[in-house]
Amino acid sequence: MKKRNLKKKNTQNNFSKLSVFQNQKYKFKKKCPLSGKGAPIIDYKNIKLLKKYISENGKILPSRITSVSQKRQRDLSIFIKRARNLALI
Amino acid sequence: MNYYEHTLVARQDTSPSQIKQMEDKYKKIIENNDGSVIKYESWGLMNLSYLIKKNKKGNYLHFKIEGNGNTIKELEKNEKIDKNLLRYLTVKVKKFDLDTNYFKKTEESTKNK
Repeated sequence: MKKRNLKKKNTQNNFSKLSVFQNQKYKFKKKCPLSGKGAPIIDYKNIKLLKKYISENGKILPSRITSVSQKRQRDLSIFIKRARNLALI
Repeated sequence: MNYYEHTLVARQDTSPSQIKQMEDKYKKIIENNDGSVIKYESWGLMNLSYLIKKNKKGNYLHFKIEGNGNTIKELEKNEKIDKNLLRYLTVKVKKFDLDTNYFKKTEESTKNK
């Protein structure tokens, strides 16, 4: 029981962000928002985009919440770290 | 020849004339080491998201450079010594994105406020 409670707490921390990416009705959208046609280009200068993928404390959100593909998640983490170095985020 | 994006963060108390000097100084260093500046952008004074050496704000300079490894080596060697700088970042890119300037819009929006 204790373990279960812990798991619930973790999901609740990112709950506010979860609602940004996924509708309550369709809980698991599988499409990646950053790949495919018409997707925005990830860049360390594009702070507005990067801010969507970090938590309020500045941590990178896991891809299981944002449903970003593996490849894009790798790129994303590099760009976020670059922006951090320049104190943009 | 390779393409590089180069960003500098200068101290908050540097005057505009000093920034102009800095710009010319680094442009000269680039050109002396067989590189060329394709575009220069000044992002202006922006808030830092955390303190760096007791600075709350920083002046951002952005260069788009065409050059080789030696150009960057020489540039960074000079920047390490420079006391007016807080941070620098060099990124190698395949293609330049010359149209979008992410920081011009933010400047305008702050002016309106």
